[in-house]
Amino acid sequence: MVDANTASHLIDIFAATILVTAFLIVSSRSLLFYVRLFALQSLLLGMVALLVVVGYGESHILIAAVLTILIKAIAIPVALNRIIKKIEVQKEIALSINIPLSLLICGALMIVASSVAEPILAAQHQTTQTVSRVLPSSIAMMLIGLFIMMTRKKGVTQIIGLLTMENGLFLSGLAITYGMPLIVEVGIFFDIMVAAMILGVFVFRINQTFETINIDELRSLRH
Amino acid sequence: MSDTLLIIASALVQLCIVLIGAPLIAGIIKKVKARMQNRKGAPVLQPYSDLNKLLKKEVILSSSSSWVFRATPYIVFTSILLIALLIPTLIVPVSLHWIGDIITVVYLLALGRFFTALAGLDTASAFGGLGSSREMSIASIIEPAMMLAIVASAVTAGSTDLSVIVSSLVSSPVSLIHPAHMLAFIGLFIVTIAETGRIPVDNPETHLELTMIHEAMILEYSGRYLAFIEWASQMKLFLFLALLSNMFFPVGIATSVTAAALIVGAVSLLAKVVVLAVVVAVIESTNAKLRLFRVPELLMVAFILSLLALILYFIIGG
Repeated sequence: MVDANTASHLIDIFAATILVTAFLIVSSRSLLFYVRLFALQSLLLGMVALLVVVGYGESHILIAAVLTILIKAIAIPVALNRIIKKIEVQKEIALSINIPLSLLICGALMIVASSVAEPILAAQHQTTQTVSRVLPSSIAMMLIGLFIMMTRKKGVTQIIGLLTMENGLFLSGLAITYGMPLIVEVGIFFDIMVAAMILGVFVFRINQTFETINIDELRSLRH
Repeated sequence: MSDTLLIIASALVQLCIVLIGAPLIAGIIKKVKARMQNRKGAPVLQPYSDLNKLLKKEVILSSSSSWVFRATPYIVFTSILLIALLIPTLIVPVSLHWIGDIITVVYLLALGRFFTALAGLDTASAFGGLGSSREMSIASIIEPAMMLAIVASAVTAGSTDLSVIVSSLVSSPVSLIHPAHMLAFIGLFIVTIAETGRIPVDNPETHLELTMIHEAMILEYSGRYLAFIEWASQMKLFLFLALLSNMFFPVGIATSVTAAALIVGAVSLLAKVVVLAVVVAVIESTNAKLRLFRVPELLMVAFILSLLALILYFIIGG
């Protein structure tokens, strides 16, 4: 069995890797990389949840951990890959801010996140808990997910942005209260799965109508 | 008195290992690349013969070049030799620790780069100027990324002195698996590839004008000048790999000046550097060179990873 000390070390490493995948998503240019990195991110997130189960004996998030791996690391990436293959879009993403500047902005978001998290952690009086150290990373992931949605113009990249935000939420739930109650988690999972499916179909339809999934084209609907 | 002698002796040993080991590492990289491309490749010791040949050849100088062009090979060579005594290779504390710390190393690298760029401009060849301008624009991102990666490690040790950083890592190996430490390693590894002009940033083996950066600046050099420049860039690669291996896996580095410790230090250093050199060769064989305008993206990733490393140190704590 993994003891709490080893678990906390591993959680630190996995959380850092999750954060790195979020940054790598921002730095990549290919739609397929977006999906792959997201799958990796979700897998690592599931591992963190499992480590909380094993290391701290919080067995109630076991189901959430397994669901994270099954749905977010396997089902959604497979579905997104199928959509990308089917509509044969250009595999290159479209951006409104170039990549070096995006990375710099995300670095700044990380600093914002860690300064936002500081008073929360200080108020919590639980500085000994390792999991709460993940909080700044999780807030940063929410912000980066939002940033991806704002600056990457294709439908699939918008979905990945939303899902990255959701991963950040899950991580912050783990950080503050060792995960939300199971019923809430399951609700969120179905929400996310349905959202990803609907958005996927939506992207597919957009592509059929406009022959592109660049959401800029949607402006023409106004006229 | 004998202490001073010992320190001088160990410094000389260190210099010899860097001077003699560097072409070997270059040869190993070339050999591994050739084997991965199903070629037989030149013998591992080929770089020694190349240097030997270049040292004997006559020097041809462009009529428009000035003293800068002639002085540059020596400046580059000596700055690299100084760096060899400033970063931990065989032994901590390093021989010249009273001269300076990591910031001195970065400035010495910048000195060499500045003169190489000047020499590139000096011959009034279009390629030289092109190489110089590319080198300087890339350097403007490399240097901050390198500083941040090293500062991230320096924060835990509480000193920018490389010897102190390495000895604190030797005494507390737990911090080796700190996530910030790993991120700093990846950041510094990308910096190494960019700084030593390897694929995917620059290709050391091509003279195709569209892609070359470092080769463009030294295009006009010949004879012993070229030998010094080539040797210096091989040593630069060796030293960066040594810095990576000793800052992130300081196994076997000597902490006292005894013959046994020095031998262990030398063997472990060579082993670690060879492993990293093979990694570099594999990366070179499996990646295409990036388009010049994509290079800043890669370097920005290195910068951001180093920044993350620094932030994570403050979040997670040492």
